[in-house]
Amino acid sequence: MPFERFRDDARHAVVVARDEAVRARQDQIGCEHLLLGLLCEPGVAAEALTAAGLNITSLRAALPVGGNAASPDPLDAESLASLGIDLDAVRRATDAAFGHGALDRASAPRRDRLRITGGRRMTADSKKSLELALRAAVGLRQNYISSGHVLLGILDQEDNAAQAALRAAGIDPAGLRADVLRRMTAAA
Amino acid sequence: MSDGVRLADAASGSDPAEGLRAARALRELAERLEALQVDNARVHGWSWQEIAFCLGVSKQAVHKKHSGRRLGH
Repeated sequence: MPFERFRDDARHAVVVARDEAVRARQDQIGCEHLLLGLLCEPGVAAEALTAAGLNITSLRAALPVGGNAASPDPLDAESLASLGIDLDAVRRATDAAFGHGALDRASAPRRDRLRITGGRRMTADSKKSLELALRAAVGLRQNYISSGHVLLGILDQEDNAAQAALRAAGIDPAGLRADVLRRMTAAA
Repeated sequence: MSDGVRLADAASGSDPAEGLRAARALRELAERLEALQVDNARVHGWSWQEIAFCLGVSKQAVHKKHSGRRLGH
């Protein structure tokens, strides 16, 4: 996925989505992580999501967290805590010394590393969201992709984990879509 | 539960699954820290010989393990 046309808010949302996938110990970046990324990163998507009543803490809590025996995160914070090691403290130290996300980048084989998604692959649904974001931008005759387009990309699919999370939070995806579109065309 | 008791639990391996997971996590953490530190040492101009000495392994071993990695990101 070429990220050149991504505006900063959309690009940062993908980076945050990656971090959220890491935090939730998921092997892949899913639509639900993209949704969290959009919510965290100031932009038109975050405005619409916040107006709809979505809350970062509750959304994060509603998403699945990995770490079971089948596919544990090798860098298991809980296990390390049982040995008296505070992974967050280690991460803060390596972030300070080697840059943000250094510890998480340090493991993955180079060939798997994408510039933005940093070692985590995207699920088919989240890839599709980015494709549909591009399509939404083309449809609106906008030559860039903002967080709003990415949110439209998520909402324009038949169904996915992000839409399920929205419904679980009592938000109607169709109503949200209309609101995003209104905000995007008003902003233009 | 106090940290001391939890530490003893994981270290003594009363639950093998938990103990093994902890050992794996610790190895993973050590590997990542080693990779970061080796890269940093190379950036600072350290030779493989010097890095190997600090890590307590042979120059061949450290070179084989880390030389393929591109520095920086």
